[in-house]
Amino acid sequence: MTTEREGDQLLVERVQAGERQAFDLLVAKYQRRLMRLVSRLVHDPAEAEDVVQETFIKAFRALRHFRGESAFYTWLYRIGINTAKNYLVTQGRRAPTSTEADTERAEAFDDADSLRDINTPESVLASKQIAYTVNAAMEALPLELRTAIVLREIEGLSYEEISEVMACPIGTVRSRIFRAREVIAEKLKPLLDLPGDKRR
Amino acid sequence: MDTNKKNRELISALGDDALPDDDVELAGLALRTGDGAQAWEVYHLIGDTLRTLETPPLSPGFSSRLAARLAAEPLHARRTPGSEGEPLKPAALTASAPAS
Repeated sequence: MTTEREGDQLLVERVQAGERQAFDLLVAKYQRRLMRLVSRLVHDPAEAEDVVQETFIKAFRALRHFRGESAFYTWLYRIGINTAKNYLVTQGRRAPTSTEADTERAEAFDDADSLRDINTPESVLASKQIAYTVNAAMEALPLELRTAIVLREIEGLSYEEISEVMACPIGTVRSRIFRAREVIAEKLKPLLDLPGDKRR
Repeated sequence: MDTNKKNRELISALGDDALPDDDVELAGLALRTGDGAQAWEVYHLIGDTLRTLETPPLSPGFSSRLAARLAAEPLHARRTPGSEGEPLKPAALTASAPAS
């Protein structure tokens, strides 16, 4: 059976041989995954979509240099993350502070009214509060921590793959993911019914 | 780094199946502590929650706009065998994204 990596490599080689349509197949396969990743880094959906488009253009231009030493998707994600970073720098953005992020998210939180609805099951409300808190904490994370935990938890990449995508040692990947979890866990603590406060 | 924090880092890696064999026993001991068990539970809650968060969909015109841009790009044939040993050009990976 062909692995995903081998299947991608076949398409890459077809593009490299001059078959333009093979790249369309790669776009069709990865456009939503790339949007899922980029939209966690560039929050405005229209801007995230521009970054996704630019990523595919850059990948297409660079594909003749791709030799298959890494999987196509780790290479593509790396281009996507660098493109998102450069986009944020070009736009003069900085990572929001937790206060800003919390405020913005609080204003946009569509379910705020339902939190006061006594008929809504408590468990549903708790889940929504948790989702809101995790999302707000994610948005306030430094870009490197956010990228690492998104690649692990949402994209399901291994530490080795993340180290390829982020061009850093595996130990740094482990540390970034842990630090991201610690920050989010700290924000969640008031919402959770946990025995005592053992976290130091 | 205090012991609890070190243990939580082990547990974080253990949950990702990314712990070196030498550390597995230590992580197992850490999981028996209240702090460790709590970290294990919260880290999995974070992962499960992140996977439920919605991703904005691509707009209906995305594919056609991208296809039009790709069609305007020259198709570069693979380089000659003599040049295949060249490393990836970093510029291809790090070039700035043009303003939208």
